[in-house]
Amino acid sequence: MIERDNSHIEQVERWAKYVRDNPFSWKKQHSLFIDSQLNMALSFFERLSQTEEGRKVFSKLMKAKIRCV
Amino acid sequence: MLDICMERKVFDKNILDKFTEEFAKIVERHCKYIIVSGFVAIAHGRTRGTEDIDMIIERISKLTFTNLHLDLVKAGFECMQSDNAETLYEDYLTKNISIRYVKNGQILPELEMKLAKDGLDEMQIKTRKKLPLTGLDVYFSSIEMNIAFKEELLKSQKDMEDAKHLRIIYEGKIDKVLIEKIKEMIKELRLR
Repeated sequence: MIERDNSHIEQVERWAKYVRDNPFSWKKQHSLFIDSQLNMALSFFERLSQTEEGRKVFSKLMKAKIRCV
Repeated sequence: MLDICMERKVFDKNILDKFTEEFAKIVERHCKYIIVSGFVAIAHGRTRGTEDIDMIIERISKLTFTNLHLDLVKAGFECMQSDNAETLYEDYLTKNISIRYVKNGQILPELEMKLAKDGLDEMQIKTRKKLPLTGLDVYFSSIEMNIAFKEELLKSQKDMEDAKHLRIIYEGKIDKVLIEKIKEMIKELRLR
């Protein structure tokens, strides 16, 4: 297991304070970050679905997401 | 100031914000709901990924759920487990298994819905709030509830960081005694 020093949690705290102290500027940066993540995932799935093998993998991924009774 | 707020509301909403507001608006016509867990922290600026938004709804009847489901379908949402409202209600929701909705033909994001399962969930719904700092027109479980659940029940590194983030954002504004009381309830109802 990889251990982390304090720099990660310090970054979490630094960003939280930035959000708290800059109510009108954090949202734009944050939305770009959130949208980028989702768009990257969607682009990946789109690329994956371009081949027969990729479509099979995609189908497995989708099935794994659905919880069976 | 108002102009800045309006501009933010119109232009800065991300994919998750828009998806959640659209879904929640439909649900609110049928029952009370709350958004819980990761999206609460993300809506307050936490920079981390999630692919689903968690929603708890009141324990509604099969008929009310059927009407809700049909309304969601009419608005372009589809449920990943089944198209059949009765199946979703009988085989999933009443067995405390969540169901997942996406927009038609899309795979992300998802909304994971479940029924309130105990007094703690009912209390969360009863004390639900709109949180102006998020800029979103949806109901969340209270900040105290979210912190207590993350620190006492969920406890992963991600959850602990979410709780820390919320504690910083709401520094001096949260009821720390209430958080401890909720943690006691969690121990009583979920950890025994």
